[in-house]
Amino acid sequence: MTDSTETTYMPLTGSQLSLWTGQKLNPNVPLYNMAHSFEINGALDVENFALAFSELVKRVDVLRTVFTEVDSIPKQFTLTDADFSLKTLDFSAKDELDTQNWLKQRSKEIFDLSKPLFDSVLLKVDEEERYIWFLNIHHLITDATSSTLLYAYQMQLYQHIGNGTLNDFPTIPSYSDYIKFEAEQKENKLSAVIGDHWKKKLASLTKIPEPYGNKNFDANSKSERIRLNLGAERTKKLKTLAQQADVRSWTLDLTLFNLFITSLFIYLHRVTGQNNLAIGAPSHNRTTKNFKKTPGLFIEVFPILDELASNDTYRTVLERIKNETGEYLRYAQPGMSTPEISRSFNVVLNYINASYTDFEGIHMESQWLHPDHCDPAHIIRCHVYDMDASGEVTVYFDLNTSVFDERLRNKVPEHFLKVLDGLIVDIDQSIHQPRLMEVLPISKEIETSDFHSVIEWFEAQVENNPSEIAIRLKNHTYTFDDLNTKVDQLAIHLSENGLKSNAKIALYLDRSLEYILSVLAVLKSGATFIPISSDIPPQRVSYILEDSRSLMVLTNDRLQHNISNDSISCINLSNNSYTADNQNTEFSSVSTTEQDLAYMIYTSGSTGNPKGVLISHGALFNYLNWAKSFYARDEKFVFPLFTSIGFDLTITSTFLPLITGGELIIYKEAEQGPDISLMEVLAQNKVNAIKLTPSHLALIKGADMQHSKIETMIVGGEDFKSNLAKGVQEAFNDKLSIYNEYGPTEATVGCIVSKFNKDRHTTSSVPIGFPIAGMTALILDSKLNPVPEGVHGDLYLTGIGLANGYENLSELTRTKFVDNPFVSGAKMYKTGDLARINSDGEFEYLGRVDEQIKLRGFRLELTDIEANLLKHEGIDNTAVVLLESKKAIPENEVVNCSECGLPSNYPNTDFDENGICHVCIAFKGYKEQAQKYFKTEEELRKILISQRGKSPNYDCISLLSGGKDSTYILAQLINMGLRVLAFTLDNGYISDQAKANIDRIVTKLNVDHIYGTTEYMNKIFVDSLHRHQNVCNGCFKTIYTLSTQIALEKQIPFVVTGLSRGQFFETRLTEELFWDENIDVKTIDDTILEARKLYHQEEDAVKELLDVSIFDYEDTFNKVQFIDFYRYSDVSLEQMLKFLKEKVDWVRPTDTGRSTNCLINQLGIYVHKKEKGYSNYSFPYSWDVRMGHKTRNETLEEINEVIDEKEVKRIMLEIGYQESSEGELEQQKLVGYYTGKKKIPSTELAKHMKQELPEYMVPSYFKFIEELPLTKNGKVDKSTLKSLNTSQLDMEAPYVGPNGDIEELVAEIWKEVLRLKQVSVHDNFIVLGGHSLAAIRVTARINEEIEMKFPLNKIFEFPTISEYGAYIEETLEKLLNEQN
Amino acid sequence: MNELLIKYIQEQLLNNEMEEELEAQDDLLGDGILDSLGMMKLILYIELEFDTKVPPQDMVIENFMTVQHISDYLAQKKK
Repeated sequence: MTDSTETTYMPLTGSQLSLWTGQKLNPNVPLYNMAHSFEINGALDVENFALAFSELVKRVDVLRTVFTEVDSIPKQFTLTDADFSLKTLDFSAKDELDTQNWLKQRSKEIFDLSKPLFDSVLLKVDEEERYIWFLNIHHLITDATSSTLLYAYQMQLYQHIGNGTLNDFPTIPSYSDYIKFEAEQKENKLSAVIGDHWKKKLASLTKIPEPYGNKNFDANSKSERIRLNLGAERTKKLKTLAQQADVRSWTLDLTLFNLFITSLFIYLHRVTGQNNLAIGAPSHNRTTKNFKKTPGLFIEVFPILDELASNDTYRTVLERIKNETGEYLRYAQPGMSTPEISRSFNVVLNYINASYTDFEGIHMESQWLHPDHCDPAHIIRCHVYDMDASGEVTVYFDLNTSVFDERLRNKVPEHFLKVLDGLIVDIDQSIHQPRLMEVLPISKEIETSDFHSVIEWFEAQVENNPSEIAIRLKNHTYTFDDLNTKVDQLAIHLSENGLKSNAKIALYLDRSLEYILSVLAVLKSGATFIPISSDIPPQRVSYILEDSRSLMVLTNDRLQHNISNDSISCINLSNNSYTADNQNTEFSSVSTTEQDLAYMIYTSGSTGNPKGVLISHGALFNYLNWAKSFYARDEKFVFPLFTSIGFDLTITSTFLPLITGGELIIYKEAEQGPDISLMEVLAQNKVNAIKLTPSHLALIKGADMQHSKIETMIVGGEDFKSNLAKGVQEAFNDKLSIYNEYGPTEATVGCIVSKFNKDRHTTSSVPIGFPIAGMTALILDSKLNPVPEGVHGDLYLTGIGLANGYENLSELTRTKFVDNPFVSGAKMYKTGDLARINSDGEFEYLGRVDEQIKLRGFRLELTDIEANLLKHEGIDNTAVVLLESKKAIPENEVVNCSECGLPSNYPNTDFDENGICHVCIAFKGYKEQAQKYFKTEEELRKILISQRGKSPNYDCISLLSGGKDSTYILAQLINMGLRVLAFTLDNGYISDQAKANIDRIVTKLNVDHIYGTTEYMNKIFVDSLHRHQNVCNGCFKTIYTLSTQIALEKQIPFVVTGLSRGQFFETRLTEELFWDENIDVKTIDDTILEARKLYHQEEDAVKELLDVSIFDYEDTFNKVQFIDFYRYSDVSLEQMLKFLKEKVDWVRPTDTGRSTNCLINQLGIYVHKKEKGYSNYSFPYSWDVRMGHKTRNETLEEINEVIDEKEVKRIMLEIGYQESSEGELEQQKLVGYYTGKKKIPSTELAKHMKQELPEYMVPSYFKFIEELPLTKNGKVDKSTLKSLNTSQLDMEAPYVGPNGDIEELVAEIWKEVLRLKQVSVHDNFIVLGGHSLAAIRVTARINEEIEMKFPLNKIFEFPTISEYGAYIEETLEKLLNEQN
Repeated sequence: MNELLIKYIQEQLLNNEMEEELEAQDDLLGDGILDSLGMMKLILYIELEFDTKVPPQDMVIENFMTVQHISDYLAQKKK
């Protein structure tokens, strides 16, 4: 087929363009093939059929349309000469399966866009008369309606040919009419209103749905079609429902569409756990009579949005959907879709109301063949249709195989059908009512007849291993026999002092032999022990003693005076009184049952008082019985006792060795200061098993543990990050097994456990694993239905290990220990934790539902802290939040922009569906505009010689670092015939080879050269590291300062810098500068100069330590101008290197280990990565790629270069930089906000809190606030309070939100530019990190918004939103008055 | 009012492809002149052109069957 006449190129419609782009991105994948097979069961005139098809190709323009690129813009044109003869293949010998396979394969053939985009063939499939017409068309030129049109035309043409009336066949309208129509629509006056509507609409969307917890990580296009036939009866019921007055809409089809999309929304909500959802739906766009007859791609996909809530019914959702579809139909206008709109959904509902008829009276069955690929942006495409008008609706799910594995692909129709049936059965029921899946089998119940009390186990060890060592404490050892004797003596002593079985006995002790004796003696006596850690403040101790109605408290000399309760009998164990009298007496243990209470542990409560959790012997037995076999090893256990006794995690270490014949080594806490027992445990290296928290582990990360004897490590108490686990696994030898044990105090120590596997556990946290014997874990939704795997829900626990409830808190007990709906008579405990089950069936912990938090392993209620803060008389109201600095994205989850390589861990990075970052996308918008900034080398020369008469010796200073860029500049300037002085800052870390380069170059080029230095360089580095988390900022500023000084002295008018084009965009050419279409380059130059003046005013070590007085004079900036060489020259890397090699003898330094000539550079990168989570080079390098000066691979290689940590630490020591103990990223801090008459000194509040609460519950920050911000529901808006950063908290001024339009506008702009979540109108711009670049951006944005020209420096003059806002208002008022 | 609506339907929604003039009494949905997409576009036009809002409960066939119905509905709404 050739093009015989002149070609008329036509543009692509919006929908075509997006498919064309999609196909270009996936060039060898048939993701847009729309293939059908039409099985015609009867006599067919094959010749006429082929003739009809040739006519069809002649008459339908899209079948002759091909695509090409003209000046890299895609265009389409129609071939005039297009003969196509349909082949008939004889398949009569093949069986059904072979034929189907052949069709499937054929449907996957890739189309060449420059040739006609269809493929068709007629198969004769039977000796009898039976044919399959195969027609495959690229989506670019067709859609579902179009397919039915083509089928109908083919049939009609066949008829006409048969009748000999081909000449009467009416003209088929041309698709080009629609192309014109669509283009006109964009010019329509409504288009602005429509664009605006969609923009606003999409603003409410938060997160793209992740069904069953999965997403399409690798943008894979593989997809499988799953068929769900609804059957005649269900279809009928749906249609009946659709007739109801309160259900129906304009037409039956619209109503059915509403019912299906309502069901799909509810299904998605149930399998994602997400509320804000969007579903795309194609709008047919065939509004006119002719368009209804035109084959071609008309559809355009727009989203329908809904926000579902747990109290929704099907009807409430449908009501909203009816409005939504109404709105959708109003605003889904031809040509109005945008990439942004297309990105807003990943699920599509395609309701097709077209259908095929029989072929000329011959029975026909159609089949839509799936090419096994689909647009990777759409993880679910749900097609609903009844193509052959059979009265049975079929739902087809095209499921992305990266998101849905084989098992899930079968679950989707099953779950969807349950949701849909819920609608048919009762439209007024809750959307959570239909149960999607049955309850997991309860893990096997263990025989309770096996019950042994802890004491029975212990006594068995005394009998079997009397002389084995049971306890070690410093240099003392105690055998099981020794221990038992002492326990008996104490028990007798206690009994003499009135202890009875079932009494509650508080143990207010250090970790000591006495503590272990007390625990065992109390249990032997049939009583209950209450461990109280020695660091609990007296008030709280007193509360526990009273609340528990303890009969007596066992304590020691040091702690006794803290006890103020007179009524309680207090036994001091320090003086050994209990051993003296009862040397040889044996105590006979009181037998206990499973129901008897073993211990009570007090945990943080929401009321400001701790609550006592009641643990029975049966529950304790269940845990220990499981633990002793699960953790069993060949050797006996040697555990350290080194964690707080008031913490239920410590139960494991306390009992496990003693009941198994192992050894317990006691590490006493320090009386003052932090508990460093862990260090002792590790240093002594005597234990082979240890139980601790992830926070403990963070302390030993990086230490060398190769020789540690620890083989069993049980981690519990808080979320355990995989990175940490991996680090620990690597630090220890291979023998170490790490277990993650989950369990609230209320379910006895641990009830879900996993063994860490570093190859398998790569998600950000180590999964908590599987429930232990005797316990079951359930993940339920608000209606107590089990949620599908991957979906988060509330974690409930049930089984033998459950606590009996809370002491004296029957109401709370009832709300937390609820009836188990799956097992009558059983209870289940609502943990308040969110969890889900991963694809391996393991439970994953996802955080807290409520106010309870875990801080360094301690569980605490924020309301507990608030209640205690409120006790201070100066405070009216409070809100305490846990401030968690942004978590670094684990390295294996970082993705890089597909164009520039910008990593996703760079702050606020956003990627589109093609993996292109927001910076690249934005830059495309002003790239051309930005070209205006660049000039030619000729212009450069003119500028540099313009001052010749005035400068005695030199035309310019050339900054020479010794790198390739600056060397090239120097040589070029000399080439231009200029008189140049070369300047190098010797910062003390230039590599030897780089220095050799410099010396060789200046000699070879015969140019004068000076090294600048300053004695303060190291201080400047340290300051730069603190301020900017890198070394370069400090270094650059020093170079600018020193070179300006020299230029002034020597009357040199210009300093030429070697900044790359990428660096221009990184540091000064912000997007905002190019917003004005008629931008004048002079305005940009002025703004940049203004910014440079401000730059030198910024407070830092350079300003403090160097003589910067020259910058106080405006004249300095006139006398010495900075010229960026690469603004005038755009040399490629290749050209540059060639030039350098030939002309200058430049050699790439190899002694820095990196692509730099500075040895301290990697220290900066190390610190930046640690504090900010990403390399400081990732952003500037991305610009180099965008400028075409680096390739994406080169930058990725450089960003990911390995850092020599040893060398980094050495340089840190050398320059005197103190590394912070934990990166900013890992910090967790409690912040107490309060209102009151006036601000109270933080030291006073801290003192007050320490009297009430243990140290770990005392907030690190106290912040006075005029009013607590509230949410729409009138609750304290904690998310606002959580979003202040630490420098904002450090500010003296109270937090006040913006007020009025102007303050709000300025606040929005500050937040965007400074990347703040929240800003107080009294926050200081500079303290928040606002430097000159930020000033350019903020000012430009403000000027753009209110169409003013405020100068740059005003932001430093009025550095708060409140002041700046007032300034704006004043200016505007003045202007207004002048105008009047 | 009728003329304005007829003009919009004919020119903007139907691209002047009607074989006969659209009458104020023609059944818009029933005669297949408009489908629900066309109907909602007509409502958007009405809302913008006559600066009014058509609430969901008013979007019933009784108000929108013909151009005449729509005019009546809008007139009654104005009161």
